[in-house]
Formats: sequence, structure tokens, C-alpha cells
Amino acid sequence: MTRSVLIVDDSAVIRMFIKNYLREEGGFEIREAADGEQAVAAYREARPDLVFLDLTMPVMDGTMALGLIRELDPQAMVIVVTADIQGKSIQRVMELGAFTVLKKPPVKEKVLETLHQALAQLAVRG
Amino acid sequence: MNAPKGMLAPDEQGLLQEIMNIAFGQAAADLAEVVDLFLVLSIPEVRFLNAPDIPAALASAMEGEKRISLVEQAFWGHFKGSGYLVLPSGAARELVSLLGNTSPNKEIELPAKELEAGTLMEVGNILIGACVGKLAELLDDRVTYSPPLVTVEGDPLASLAKDVWAPETTAIVLKTLFRFHGRNVKGFLFLVTSQDSIDWLRTALAAFLGRYA
Repeated sequence: MTRSVLIVDDSAVIRMFIKNYLREEGGFEIREAADGEQAVAAYREARPDLVFLDLTMPVMDGTMALGLIRELDPQAMVIVVTADIQGKSIQRVMELGAFTVLKKPPVKEKVLETLHQALAQLAVRG
Repeated sequence: MNAPKGMLAPDEQGLLQEIMNIAFGQAAADLAEVVDLFLVLSIPEVRFLNAPDIPAALASAMEGEKRISLVEQAFWGHFKGSGYLVLPSGAARELVSLLGNTSPNKEIELPAKELEAGTLMEVGNILIGACVGKLAELLDDRVTYSPPLVTVEGDPLASLAKDVWAPETTAIVLKTLFRFHGRNVKGFLFLVTSQDSIDWLRTALAAFLGRYA
């Protein structure tokens, strides 16, 4: 079963890292967005199964995008990948419904472990 | 990643910008562990400047502030240069109140200016040290630091006009803007590194990519 994933980061390098990890794993249809506004538009259009979301981005930051995505879809599965690892930032995105927070740079093993946890949760939902 | 000698290619600059983003995020988190201070972060910038233009560029970032406070700390490794924490007028007083740095014993209370300088030094040391330290770690380098130097409420150009850069050199300037959450105070962290580091930097960026890509 192919799962759809949206990768959101203003850094092309970070998008590439995550994209490569997912491609090696296989079974994912990948879309990308470079800011929060693009992310919300892409989510509205494609309703991906899973989102990897940066926080510090131009145009619209990831925290605001997360809030809007969760308004569109209260079940949205969003993994935050960020350099902003201040306790209050993490607390805020968890309150908004993020699945978890990964710190940058995203390490392959950690990304895949989290991915599988998220997929397991999606499978339970059916 | 092929760029003319002395310059970084756009994708190398993009990677350096992201590494600065990660490093400053670590610095903000380290500061938050020590004090209840939450920083709102923004996207870093990477620029190449001729040495004589650096003071004016740093001063202009403060958008016409007539007085600034400054913490400056040099670092040495393969990656070498100076870190500058630049804050507007009044920010040092604001930090003192935010950090509750008042003497419990009024009889030995420090003069306001000394208290402001001490507080700035604490905050600057944490932010510059953590940011440079994380950057060095990500690039597989190790750096040592000079003690921080503090200027409270100085003239921007005079405070930043240092003779540490040979006039003919080009520097890489990494700049991050931040705001103190809930307060009308913003500041900048600049890392200025000599272009002498550029060949090493290219190799280190490629090695970083190799570890994650």
C-alpha cells in the first residue's frame, strides 16, 4: 500500500535528506512544500497521510501551518522536524496536535523509527 | 558544488544557512534551560562581505539605533572568527529584569551598568558559545574561545569597528535575528568568519552531506 507524504521545509537540503530516507524505504508518494502557506495549500489539495513539518520558515511559519492543517483535518498526522528545540516551542506544537518532534539534522534511523510509529497509528485508525 | 575559488556555491550557502539555523536553535534551547527566556527565531542569512564593510553592515542591522549593546567573542578551530550578539538600546536593562539579576543584599548591590554588563556577558556567552559549539560539532571541528568582551550602550559603528580583519580580506557573515517572546526586544547574532576558512568549510560541508544524505 502506497502512503502519501508531504515534506515541508524551506531548506532544500533537509527536504532531500527526508526524501532520500523515504525513497530507500519505498512505498511512499512524496510531495514537497517550502513554506507554511504552500504546506496548507498542499494539504488541502492532497490530504497526505503524513506530514514532515519544519517550524522556522518564511511566509508562514510551521506552528501556524500546523494549526491550520489540524483545523482542516483534526486527525492530521504531523511530525515536526525543527532546529527550534526550546521547551516552549515543543510544548506549543504538541498542544496543537503534532505526533512528535524530531530535532534537526534529521537522522535516518530516527526518522524511519518515527515514521513506522506513525504508520502503525494510521493502521490502527484504519 | 563547484564555485569560483573564494566563494561558496549557492547550494553550499544554503547548507551553511541550515546548519546555522540548527546551531542557533541549540543556542536558544541552551539559554532557555538556564533562564526562563523564550526566543522567537527567524531564518538565518549567509553573506559575503569585504572586511571594511562589516561594521557598517552589522550596525545597519539595528535599523538606526543610536546606541547598542554588544557581546563579542572570538573562536578558533578550522572554523575561526568572531561571534557578536548585538542588542538595541535598553535591551541590557530589559535582560536584567527578565533574568531577575538583582542583588539580594542592597548594601552590596552592583552599579546598574555593571549589572547590565554582567547579564549581557552571561547571555552572550551562552548564545555565542552554544551556537558556535553546535556549528563546530556539526562540521566535525573543535573550537576554543576567547573570554567575551561587553560594550553597554555604545555607538554602533565605534563598537563594531574592530581592527581584527585585514582590509583586503572577505568574510562570511552568518546573521540570525531573534526576538524575546512577549517583549519588544529584538537582537542579532552574527558569526563572522574569515575566508581563510573557506577551503576547509567546503570539505566540511561535503562531509556533513555525506553523513546524512
